[in-house]
Amino acid sequence: MTGIFEAAWVIARRDFVATVWSRSFILFLLAPLVVFAVALISGQLIDAREGESLRPQVAVIADGATTRALGEARTRLVTGTSEWSFPILRPVDPAENLAVQAGRLLADGAEGYSAVFSGTLDRPVLTGPAKVDETVGRRMQLLVDEARRTAALEASHQTPPPVAIERVMIDQSAGNLQMTRRLIARAVQMMIFGITVLLATLLLSNMAEEKSNKVIEVLAAAVPLDSVFLGKLAAMLGISFVGLALWGGLGVLAYVFVQMVQDWVTLPQVAPAVGWPAFILLVLFYYGTNYMLLGALFLGIGAQASNIREIQTISMPVTLLQVVVVMIAVAAVGDDGGALAWFAAIFPFSSPLAMIAQAARYESLWPHLLALVWQAIWVVVIIRASARLFRRTVLKSAPGGAFFSLDFWRAGSR
Amino acid sequence: MAAELAIEARGLLKSFDGKPAVRGIDIAVPTGSIYGILGPNGAGKTTTLRMLLGIIEPDQGTRTLLGHERPLEAAKMVGYLPEERGLYPAMTTREAIAFMGALRGLPLEVGRKRADILLGDNGLGDYVDKPVKSLSKGMAQTIQLFGTIVHKPKLVVLDEPFSGLDAINQGRLEHLIRDEAAAGTTVIFSTHVIHHAERLCERVAIIAGGQIRFEGLVAEARDRLAPQVRLRTRTADGPWRGALPADAQLRDGVWDFDLPKGGVEPLLKALIDGGAGVEELSIERPGLHDAFVAIAGEDAARGMDDDTDPLGEAA
Repeated sequence: MTGIFEAAWVIARRDFVATVWSRSFILFLLAPLVVFAVALISGQLIDAREGESLRPQVAVIADGATTRALGEARTRLVTGTSEWSFPILRPVDPAENLAVQAGRLLADGAEGYSAVFSGTLDRPVLTGPAKVDETVGRRMQLLVDEARRTAALEASHQTPPPVAIERVMIDQSAGNLQMTRRLIARAVQMMIFGITVLLATLLLSNMAEEKSNKVIEVLAAAVPLDSVFLGKLAAMLGISFVGLALWGGLGVLAYVFVQMVQDWVTLPQVAPAVGWPAFILLVLFYYGTNYMLLGALFLGIGAQASNIREIQTISMPVTLLQVVVVMIAVAAVGDDGGALAWFAAIFPFSSPLAMIAQAARYESLWPHLLALVWQAIWVVVIIRASARLFRRTVLKSAPGGAFFSLDFWRAGSR
Repeated sequence: MAAELAIEARGLLKSFDGKPAVRGIDIAVPTGSIYGILGPNGAGKTTTLRMLLGIIEPDQGTRTLLGHERPLEAAKMVGYLPEERGLYPAMTTREAIAFMGALRGLPLEVGRKRADILLGDNGLGDYVDKPVKSLSKGMAQTIQLFGTIVHKPKLVVLDEPFSGLDAINQGRLEHLIRDEAAAGTTVIFSTHVIHHAERLCERVAIIAGGQIRFEGLVAEARDRLAPQVRLRTRTADGPWRGALPADAQLRDGVWDFDLPKGGVEPLLKALIDGGAGVEELSIERPGLHDAFVAIAGEDAARGMDDDTDPLGEAA
């Protein structure tokens, strides 16, 4: 380990220790827990207070038999689908003038009805805006049809006895396999994206610290700038792995605990195409390259900023860039062998996300070796470009040396 | 002869945004010497040092640092104290010194031990575990200086090292520079306080307006000016007046003039023979300040010595 890597190690070690031993690192570690807790609490609050208001409600102004038949039909259909599949039915006692009553109910903001059902199962009437046809109209039609069929069968005493489906179990079906692997691919893409967003943007302000502390000149006189950038990147990657280890460990503990207390969380029974061990390893590698690629870019961009205000200004386009990249990679999952899939795999910034999706879906391992080398080359290219740009714009110096100089990693090269 | 030079630079040129900052610098710093770069603020001293160290690349010219054309190849043998001092505020003094050594290839453990020794030997042992942010400015500067020499470099480059230091710390720094030189280390520093250079340096470069005006021994700079004669006589006039140079000036009964090329003996003889009645005659060698004024001009000299020299009387 000589030259640039030795120097990068010194920088990385300093940054790593300084960050991990700082008080703010505890906040950093707690951040996902705080986000999770806030999401959980707010989710429960929303569920408790807003849950029903997010589903359409239909006022049912009908006789008792009709109301009961509709309710029972709903219960049967909901059992096979979900509570969210059908509108909530609210029985309302009929008034003298149905039209006036329907109008009043639909105008009542406190109740919040989307439509009013009236009449009977043989002459049903649904009053409401045209817009609710998609969500309410068709589903009310299903309920009425179900209620009528059941009523007809019961009247003719031809209701068939319930029959249980005989299950013939096989290991796996191609359709389920593909679907689950796509789900795994997208879930892992989003996980890598989320963690990278959380951490890589921190790098925007990383070089600003060196400039404000005026340490940059000490560093620039002692080691190649490439190693400063590489060291800072490696330190932040190491810090993120500490976070991942902690959060991952807590996740596993939480899973084990939940399994012990109540067996309601199940992991997917379908393994990624390359198998779980190789997949987990590839997730770590691709997370690393994804982080290094975006991090190197952010570090380079952030190094141009001279104060926090400038960093805040460039944060927005940088975050948008991340969103565009993840959209390309996610879209590529559904584009088997298409131009988008190839582009996502080759374009450096989307390559890690696209390739981890490949690992979930296809067995070949050698493309990953190629992809990791390709991504590593781009990390080096971006670091080199960032360092040269920093020398030119911040240190007001010619970059020095050829961009692709083969001995750039030597301590003496510029 | 390059092996005997710690630093050699030829024709260094540098412009920033089209404005020339350094216009052709030639420097030769002998190994083991204490070398001063003198010049007013904005003369190009810092730019020159940065180019010598490879922090910035010259637009033209070549430089060799400890025999290496690429300055960073010699980085492990060089210590550098920049004009704008920079330390990580949360680091302890020991770690700050060891980190700066590690940047130059010194193992951290060795750096920590040497830091303890440096701090202890300089009466700062109680500050070993104190964070840099808790130190005074002068103390932090001392810590950075220790970080500059902790890896025992062959060449120490100090940019305005005395700036911001009180008298005690300036004295310590002068001692430290002498100690380093005594141990065989080459020390080059920039300053706009001439007295520091005069006390410490064997050789100096005088820079003004981005150009080298003089480069050589301090004695050579002084020798550019003739020694000054101060003469007080009992008689106001007489034949002895013919022995005085034409530009001799009389102020408050004292004659001031350059020592004639013939030396003091012919002058003295002519004064005695001419009946001057010599009451007082002294010969003063011109100081580096006088030489600086003569070499760089009054304008450049006005930009010098902004900082007071609290060691002036003691020296």
